Amino acid sequence: MSAEAEPLSGPVPPRQSQKEATRQRVVASAHELFDTHGFQGTTIREIARHAGVSVGSVFTTFASKGEILSEVMLSRLEPLYAELDRVMPHLRGCTADRLRTMFAVHFEFEARHVRLFMSHIAAAYDWTLPQAARPYGRTPRLQEIIRETLEKGQADGEVRRDIDLQEVIDLVMSAYAWTYRLVITREADAKALIGVMDRQIGLIADGFAPK
Amino acid sequence: MKHISPNQVAVDTPTRAPTRRALAKQQTRLKVLAAARRLFSEQGYEGATIRDIAAAAGMSTGAVFANFTDKSDLFREIMHDDMEALTAAMRDAAARGRNVEDALLKIFMAGYTFYKTRLQLARAGFSVSWDKDGGPTLRGMSSSAAFQDLFTEQLTAAVDRGELSQESEAKLRSQMLFDTYLSNFPQAIFEGWSLDALQARARDQIRILLAGARRG
Repeated sequence: MSAEAEPLSGPVPPRQSQKEATRQRVVASAHELFDTHGFQGTTIREIARHAGVSVGSVFTTFASKGEILSEVMLSRLEPLYAELDRVMPHLRGCTADRLRTMFAVHFEFEARHVRLFMSHIAAAYDWTLPQAARPYGRTPRLQEIIRETLEKGQADGEVRRDIDLQEVIDLVMSAYAWTYRLVITREADAKALIGVMDRQIGLIADGFAPK
Repeated sequence: MKHISPNQVAVDTPTRAPTRRALAKQQTRLKVLAAARRLFSEQGYEGATIRDIAAAAGMSTGAVFANFTDKSDLFREIMHDDMEALTAAMRDAAARGRNVEDALLKIFMAGYTFYKTRLQLARAGFSVSWDKDGGPTLRGMSSSAAFQDLFTEQLTAAVDRGELSQESEAKLRSQMLFDTYLSNFPQAIFEGWSLDALQARARDQIRILLAGARRG
């Protein structure tokens, strides 16, 4: 085993901890600014100023603004996934209801930061983003939770066995994402979004139910 | 309705050849639109500036502003033109559908085929449509509404033909079909999916979304 692969022991070298501190401050400050001014409306310079670090040190930590957004989205999802991991095993009811609960948790969580979430979707099409950093759509944990729910549904005879689960997952994910357009067109709140999503899941469930 | 003969029209409103000035103005507009279309496709909505667009069209920024109020006006006009052309193509395609599922699939495919050569422009469109400021204007356009209506019309016609049952969720179902049509664009834009791959996926999606409205 090489020395580099050894787990770090003892105090973290100061340079390393300083870099991590900068990283956390940049992410926290970007989170706040994206949420208030949107992704396009926020510059790296403002993020740096708000975080109290130099523009140069932002760029030694992140390759682009898109990468910062990816990091913001990931870091803020941790508590959401922790909550889902806690709740999902105890859910009762049919497959559709379990999916409904899961997305209700999502909307409750996101409603506090709708602007940020929409930045997230808009930025998926941003030109300055390297493909690897495309933020929206790379949510493997969420897809995994939907898959587990559908597989349980198959075991319980509620979901057809001859259906392509990935296609159902994609349909549910797109229904979830596009429901946010109601925030733009109708200024919908979390309750309204949950209501629409419940019905959409019902329609999709008609499609995956055994005949 | 009162019948008007061509002759009568000619008498009432003498057809006047457009003035040279009007023709020049029209040409300027077209030149600006072509340049803008190219730059939006190359640099995205945010990346393309009026200054660059003017330079690419070989004119001053003043000349651009004489024809369009701002960049969003320019972008809206391009999207509007495309959506009108696309809606017409989709309508033709749907008319050739053998049943509701086939008609919907043909609508999806007319869209993916249309945008196959302008994926980057579609990408710019999505970026603007999810923007808090750009979104409402783009989504509120009449051509955008006409586009959505196409899906509703297909479902209504299918109910009339007895292919689908009368239901309360028709509006939501057509909205979901429309969203699903849009949601496949990232695969086309970023992952280079072929039209065949998109068609196979779209067919399955349409089946799932129609299942609840099937008769029997």
